Amino acid sequence: MSIDKPEVMETSSSEAVAETPILTEVLPELPTVTDEQDLIIETRGLSKRYGRLQAINNLNLQVPRGAIYGFVGPNGAGKTSTMRILTTLMKPSGGEAYINGYSVISTPREVRRSIGYMPDFFGVYEDMKVWEYLDFFAACYEIPEAQRPGLINDLLELVDLAHRRDDMVDKLSRGMKQRLCLARTLAHDPQVLILDEPASGLDPRARIEIRELLIELAKMGKTIFFSSHILADVNEICTHIGIIEAGQMVAQGPIKAMRQQLIPHRVLIITLLGRMDDAKEALLHVEGVLGIVDLPPEDGKTRIKVEFSGEDLRMSEMLQALTSKGIPVVNFAEESSDLEAVFMKATKGIVS
Amino acid sequence: METPANRSRISLNPLRPLLRNPVALKELRGRMRGPRAFVVLTCYLIVVGGFTTLLYIAGTAATYSTTGEVDGGTLGRVLFGSVVAIELFLVTFITPAFTAGSISGEHESQTYDLLRTTLLPERQLVFGKLFSALAYVLLLLLAAIPLQSIAFLFGGVDVEEIFISLLVLLATAIFLGNIGVYYSAMTHRTLRANIMTYVTILAVILVTTAGAVIALAIVEGLDPSTSTSGSEWFLLVARGIFVCLNPLTTLLSTQQYLVNQQTLFTFKYTFTDGTTTTLPSPWITFTVFYLALSVVVFFATTRHLKRIEG
Repeated sequence: MSIDKPEVMETSSSEAVAETPILTEVLPELPTVTDEQDLIIETRGLSKRYGRLQAINNLNLQVPRGAIYGFVGPNGAGKTSTMRILTTLMKPSGGEAYINGYSVISTPREVRRSIGYMPDFFGVYEDMKVWEYLDFFAACYEIPEAQRPGLINDLLELVDLAHRRDDMVDKLSRGMKQRLCLARTLAHDPQVLILDEPASGLDPRARIEIRELLIELAKMGKTIFFSSHILADVNEICTHIGIIEAGQMVAQGPIKAMRQQLIPHRVLIITLLGRMDDAKEALLHVEGVLGIVDLPPEDGKTRIKVEFSGEDLRMSEMLQALTSKGIPVVNFAEESSDLEAVFMKATKGIVS
Repeated sequence: METPANRSRISLNPLRPLLRNPVALKELRGRMRGPRAFVVLTCYLIVVGGFTTLLYIAGTAATYSTTGEVDGGTLGRVLFGSVVAIELFLVTFITPAFTAGSISGEHESQTYDLLRTTLLPERQLVFGKLFSALAYVLLLLLAAIPLQSIAFLFGGVDVEEIFISLLVLLATAIFLGNIGVYYSAMTHRTLRANIMTYVTILAVILVTTAGAVIALAIVEGLDPSTSTSGSEWFLLVARGIFVCLNPLTTLLSTQQYLVNQQTLFTFKYTFTDGTTTTLPSPWITFTVFYLALSVVVFFATTRHLKRIEG
């Protein structure tokens, strides 16, 4: 793929695509989870012990069908161990784990049929062609031989590697290998994708491509369960998150609810050309405003930080209150790095 | 690219059912790709061919000097036996090299976990690895048949001997291949698997050769006046076991019975008290024993792979 070709995955706003430089992105709409109680991945009291080290401790994971679930935690928190148990590669020391209703302990074959697993390394054979690689794994998933050529073409099309079909796998770039691995996990059309650090070690472009692909797959109805220690990834594409630390789940749920639950205050930064006192006065009359803090001026413009609770409607009311009094607002935006705050608040920094 | 035309062409292939095994197909594709397979086969034939030529020159000189004219039968047998011995030597070294990296290599390329999360049964993984390695060894053996057949120009060798030697070589390769895959499954490192495989093979060769030599020496030195038929039976069986556990002694004694007694499947043993008994020819015992042992090792490997990390 050539770098200078502006390339953004299919999105609704084609206008934006035409003018954007390479790395500008248009975030597609995330899939919606219809039933929070319909769990496709569930663990109950899951634990894993390596000698004296308790890697996973009484973990209760709940991933609803159709979710993009970000499994977040510091390195060594137990993310990979959890994934190895879910993918039938490792036995838990205690507790239960179910995928699509099948126990990973007593019905591993059914579980394997339901999942596509991508570990945190590529795992590609060097002496194979791209199509042979997919053909091999499709055969391992018992896809009949006659169906494989068509399937391989579809998969390569999906991950945008159709033009590299007959190339050797080791000639591919890192990002391409990662996409090929993702295509491999899809060979048997699994309902759940379990991806361990899918974006690690990728350049920004490859990272965006993988992210777009995951959203595309979620739209196709797949549940995506992926681990990451990069909050930005999680923030942008997840419908649900689970935060794990020292083997324990410290918080999990729909991402919106998590934000509200852990950070009831929302923060708004307002930049003004002047009349700061009038602005403060006006804002204090709006319902839900909890406090106003002066920020150091930037380029001679006054800035204030407003803490408030409640819905987006409050923000609109605040803006209205300011403009109706003719106060010169030049910038009005919610501070968006709130997931990091969620994370910092939820984790205690036990594991580094 | 697969088109309907070449698909129907491939389906005429008798190996088709075996190639349904995804691992076998993948390994064979990888093995036969590029110059490596060609280079190994060429080197193998150069070594076997070179030795045959040397033996021919040395053999003609030797038979001239003793009888005044070329003893065709002896020369034929010497040539044939030597080619088989060289093949045996090469198979002993090549087969483990092809198999000891089979499973550990998957760990090293970080693809083992991927395979384990697919629906591929463990026995298919082991069989595929084994089959692809042995198919190549078989290719080497078949490629050397013309060199073995040079012996026919001199006489003294029967067609059956070619088949028996091929069978013994193949049984050796199957057993060694299984040992290689077994150690490859037991350890995650190819180097370790290689060392363990070669050490095991060396131990088998040393023990069986030493045992056969000692047992043979005792049997030859039996004194008819003191030996009982019971102790002689014991020694006979002991010698039989050691001879039949070593491919080289198996082939030598099979040929000996074939030349002396003209029997292919059995041989007669005469006790010191004059009674005789009929026993199966060593190549049969050898083949049956090692194939059975291969099956055992195969299932041990599969069993080990089935275990889930605790």
